[in-house]
Amino acid sequence: MNIDNYTDAIKNCRFCFMCRHLSAIGNVLFTEADTPRVRAAMIYGITQHPEQLANRDFIDTLYRSDLSAACRYHCVSHFDENGLNIAARTDVVQAGFAPDYVKNIAAELKKSEKWTVKGSGDVLYFEDSYTAETKTVAKAFDKIMKKAKVPYQTVTGGCIGKALKILGFPTEAKAAAEKFAKVVKDSKAKILVVSNPAAYDALVHDYKEFGIKLSAKVMHTSEYLRTLKLKFKKAGELYYLESDFLKNYNDNCKFPRALLADLKAEIKPFGTNNEESYTCGEGAVVLPKICEGIVEKLAKYIEERADDPKKDLLVVASPYTKIFLTKYTKLNVKTLEELAAEHI
Amino acid sequence: MLVSKDSYMYEMIRTELTDIVGDDNVCTRDADKFGHSIDYYWIPEMWHDRGMETPKPDFIIHPGSAEEIAKVVKVANHYHIPVVPWGGGSGSQGGALPVYGGIIIDMKRMNKFKGIDREALTVTCQTGMIARHLEWRCNKEGYSTMHLPASIACATIGGFLAHRGTGVLSTKYGKIEDMVMSLEVVTPTGEIIRTLPVPRHASGPDLTMLFLGSEGTLGIITEVTLKVHPQPEAREFRAYIFKDFHTAMSAGAELMRSRLQPCAVRLYDEEETIHHVRKVFGMELDKGAYLVFGFDGRKDIVDCQMRYAREIMEKKFKGKDLGSKGGELWWENKYKFFYPPFMFHMPQAFGTLDTVATFSNIEKVYWAMKKVVNENFPQARFIGHFSHWYEWGCMLYARFIFEEEYVPKDPREAAALYNRVWDLAIRAAIANGGVINEHHGVGLKLGRLMKELYGPAMPVLEGIKKQLDPNNIMNPGKLGFKGV
Repeated sequence: MNIDNYTDAIKNCRFCFMCRHLSAIGNVLFTEADTPRVRAAMIYGITQHPEQLANRDFIDTLYRSDLSAACRYHCVSHFDENGLNIAARTDVVQAGFAPDYVKNIAAELKKSEKWTVKGSGDVLYFEDSYTAETKTVAKAFDKIMKKAKVPYQTVTGGCIGKALKILGFPTEAKAAAEKFAKVVKDSKAKILVVSNPAAYDALVHDYKEFGIKLSAKVMHTSEYLRTLKLKFKKAGELYYLESDFLKNYNDNCKFPRALLADLKAEIKPFGTNNEESYTCGEGAVVLPKICEGIVEKLAKYIEERADDPKKDLLVVASPYTKIFLTKYTKLNVKTLEELAAEHI
Repeated sequence: MLVSKDSYMYEMIRTELTDIVGDDNVCTRDADKFGHSIDYYWIPEMWHDRGMETPKPDFIIHPGSAEEIAKVVKVANHYHIPVVPWGGGSGSQGGALPVYGGIIIDMKRMNKFKGIDREALTVTCQTGMIARHLEWRCNKEGYSTMHLPASIACATIGGFLAHRGTGVLSTKYGKIEDMVMSLEVVTPTGEIIRTLPVPRHASGPDLTMLFLGSEGTLGIITEVTLKVHPQPEAREFRAYIFKDFHTAMSAGAELMRSRLQPCAVRLYDEEETIHHVRKVFGMELDKGAYLVFGFDGRKDIVDCQMRYAREIMEKKFKGKDLGSKGGELWWENKYKFFYPPFMFHMPQAFGTLDTVATFSNIEKVYWAMKKVVNENFPQARFIGHFSHWYEWGCMLYARFIFEEEYVPKDPREAAALYNRVWDLAIRAAIANGGVINEHHGVGLKLGRLMKELYGPAMPVLEGIKKQLDPNNIMNPGKLGFKGV
């Protein structure tokens, strides 16, 4: 079983409570089951009683995890309950117990694949489905690129593997990744720029795991925009909400805050701490398709923590987070690209 | 389990509960029941480790108000269903386990922060708030509860109140019971009451103290007003190595008798210094006993107190100074001891035999417990540190550890061995002036020893329980009270 590769996490997380305050889902549903401790203990139970892998309540609990990895980042030993959860999902799928909603999402992802590349230049901008849904992020990127007079290509059209992987379909994820890698290669681009931190994490980590070497250097927009050496007007006072993928999966990636420093932003601390995930479930990638009600609760949880929800400017690195904060709250949310475009 | 899921009565009762708290707040999923069947107590952990079934509740309720809890309690009285309050579930004594099934009232939805009174320096909140969240909220406004236990990340404020918890700064700021101004409580018969608004008065016996430490057997604490403190200008630590535990204990006791006001004092015996302090700090330490203490407050006062404390440590007791670095290391790593793999864990068998006694008795308690564990269980290790210090004595955080090869594979035999250690060690503590627990509570683990501790006073507690909870629905079988 895939979970056997995570014995450390099973043994160390199953009775440990030290990260429970960071369970985003646990903090909005108030449930004990939605904590790393209980998920790990449940999975340990499956190792003792394999028939429990078919338990629908257990399966649903695995699939509604926020996968923020705030627990792993917080843990002094960084035990990987996140990876364990994905391994358990993979076991569920491979044993044929995937619920219909999981199968349907995976089928939709596979069906959505239709890669289109437009434009020309050494830079290839990947506009994933969440970035496209905002309608404003790619526009902001375009404005900056025009100002910098840098020609670029765009690629749209499908899942590059991340969503399939976290749903428990690693083989299909790898196949999708290979196809995308070919699209990138065919574009002859030297730099691949992404706005969505989930895509960034997939390209940096998952592809390596799949044994895929990309022909272009991968950069998050916050990293790439800094290379343009643009002069920005002062952005002023704002709150920056960290991305799960950039902070917890990529060792507190420094580029977003460096870009905000270039923008002379005065960053105020949001809420009461910098440990909780304030992303509406970004780490789970397709959580809105699994249970949008939880995403709404996560958004409201963030809104309740704003100093002045009507006035505060919240800047996010993730188009996903912008979509759901905008959909479910009255908060004023901008992505890094939008903020940068407004201040050139 | 009192209500079989196959019985239509199960659905009848679920309908009543749903009517009170809403469909979303009555959980009967297997995953939720499982989550509430194991706390931080070794026995349910071991039971699960061995692939055994753990006792589960029939219903898990997430109430949003004291009024909803009162209604749930009335339903439970009507049908004589056990009710067990659950906070963070991180208790080590089995106090929140639904051993007779019934209703778990999970308090975490009652997590409202109600504000800080800047004149009185108090904070009011609902008791389902996770302590770390409350502390963060207070910090944002420049204050601290100063209640900073290792379980701050996982336990709710209500959990600490229910078993009289303690944080690392207890020596200056007190245990949770010293921090409480007043409480709101839902009684076992469903009345909502408030204790007096201030903790110092001459208006009769103190009801606040009656409910603190009652572990959900006398009611459910739903709201609390606690003291808060401004964040100190300075907080500094210093550590020493003493040639042996006795010298270190004498130095620590002298520090307390001097009536200086350390915020924290901690002393590790030779065994724990060698095996755990070194491991967690990742530094070499001389053989001996490690003692650390700190002061906080105005910088000039901290400096002055530190100067006098150093005189005690260095001139009188010849401690080897590890400097402020040796002390700061402890402060920075104070919670690291409790993360895996630094914390003991399954398949080891381990337990914290915490007790408290006066300075006249504490060493006797330590040696008596150590002797009884060593003599009766030579395969076990006994270590100890002294982590909460008072003007009159201190707390012994003794632990026993059996490595995997010494723990029976059969879960029943393992439980019997485990209980035997507790029986002998705690009886040794009581015989030498100790008590059965200092800050983890009694729960299921130590209930059987309550009669021995209280003697003829136990019927007083039982009488109170009977009066408040005539149907014995509130957390039956805990705190030494009768089961179902």
